[in-house]
Amino acid sequence: MSLSDFHFRLNGDSAITLIFEDKISKSLTKNILILKNTIIHANDLPRLIDIIPAYQSLTLCYAYPIKNVKTIENQISNIIANIVLSDRPSALKKQKVINIPVCYEDTYAPDLKMLASELKMTTNQLIKKHTDGIYLVHMLGFLPGFLYLGGLDESLHYPRKKTPSINLAKGSIGIGGQQTGIYPIESPGGWNIIGRTPLTMFDVDKEKITIAEPLDSIKFYSISSAEFIKFNIQSQN
Amino acid sequence: MLFIKSGLQTSIQDFGRTGYMHLGVSHSGAMDKTSLSLANYLVGKPKDSPALEITLIGPTIQFLSSMRIAICGAHFDIYLNNDLIFNNQSVDVVSGDILEFDQLINGARCYLALSCEINLKKQLNSFSTHVTAKIGGYNNRQIKDGDQLSVLSSNTTQSTKNKSLNSSFSQFYSGKYLLRCVESVESNLFSKVQIHQFLSTKYKINQQSNRMGIRLDGNKIQISQNIQITSSGLTLGSIQITPNGLPIISSVDGQTIGGYPRIANIISTDLSILGQLKAHDTVSFELISCNQASILYKQKENWIEAILTN
Repeated sequence: MSLSDFHFRLNGDSAITLIFEDKISKSLTKNILILKNTIIHANDLPRLIDIIPAYQSLTLCYAYPIKNVKTIENQISNIIANIVLSDRPSALKKQKVINIPVCYEDTYAPDLKMLASELKMTTNQLIKKHTDGIYLVHMLGFLPGFLYLGGLDESLHYPRKKTPSINLAKGSIGIGGQQTGIYPIESPGGWNIIGRTPLTMFDVDKEKITIAEPLDSIKFYSISSAEFIKFNIQSQN
Repeated sequence: MLFIKSGLQTSIQDFGRTGYMHLGVSHSGAMDKTSLSLANYLVGKPKDSPALEITLIGPTIQFLSSMRIAICGAHFDIYLNNDLIFNNQSVDVVSGDILEFDQLINGARCYLALSCEINLKKQLNSFSTHVTAKIGGYNNRQIKDGDQLSVLSSNTTQSTKNKSLNSSFSQFYSGKYLLRCVESVESNLFSKVQIHQFLSTKYKINQQSNRMGIRLDGNKIQISQNIQITSSGLTLGSIQITPNGLPIISSVDGQTIGGYPRIANIISTDLSILGQLKAHDTVSFELISCNQASILYKQKENWIEAILTN
């Protein structure tokens, strides 16, 4: 496993995106995060204001327009050439499995019945498949605290809605294309909503403002609407 | 200060928050940082201090204490106790004074800077209101009718002379703009014909534009099904071509990861113009090199510094 196959692309006048040719995988995500940490800790580079890992890329954002693109490209290429990508547990934080309660009952799952019938299964079968999966967090983005999850069972793949819903509730769990995900805040969105979690995915008052980090795993488990309400009351206290 | 009327979208903004994009939190902050800087200068504050961003329909404010204020950016008819006051100069107000923003004349957003400190706490290292994330600013939201913003008393400025900007620094917003761009991540996936089409189209600003993104109407660019991209980091000023062939410019409260191909990215120097765009304004684009963008940025920095150190 290596990061040798990559190229640089300008991402506006103040950012550069490194694109990796490898297929989306857990090991690529891991290597990108190791590279991210290495770049953050390299002292001789211009100060970054943001660094955004994604499935197959790493975007470096600078405070000012880049004077000499080649210089930065050379610096980063050198780092990549010298990086040790072998399994170094110390290079990355310990990864967790995060269990997320989901209420799949009608009130919280406006599209569940439609989706089950389109996918030619019962709602219980759909819920079982969804809760059986273990989903890898590849990255965060799109909305604050939104997790890009890999690992949705192929039998649950289903296109996004043609016309997005104007307002999806915070915590809505959806399926869109080959992905499943959680809307961390109230938002418009095109995914088919199959449930809702009472957990808060994004909270700036907490030490860790998001519920998960890249390389953590997510596991959903089913709760009743009574339990959902109980969760909400507990979190308000 | 009491907001008798809040206006359409009035919020506290500074230069925004960096360092959280990997968690999905975009920078937020003032859409026109140039005007924010100038307004802060006029009240004797550092250029990145928090101030009120006022959008299209302005507020009516009653002051509950004395302070010095200044307004820069979009031009409104502005009345202080029924007397007209003007942009680009500081004005002293006392308790009981009423500031009223009437008709918008040009531009879209102005910045009302205050000599006193606003009594708020930073969230994620900034006072800025992130409208989608619901963080920062006044109670994590934009200002509503009847809100009372608490300020710490200021007595330092009353003894100094009021400041004004030299008229040559005054901005006029024509509603027709040329936005300069550099390449973006997927620029190479567009054909020469498509790039030419993009650069030769006068786009109109769509009404569905806000602090998240600015939608454009005009010539549609037919994207072939072959353009398959993997979502990656989306930066401020990125111009994505959506499946319907129309561009959308990502703005301060926008997404941090994008999945549509980017044809270009607006240069840092021109980002402040995004704050002055309103429905039916027109924009066209010019492609320049990253090196040119860097020179233009330095020139603009010098221009602002010359004003601020005056």
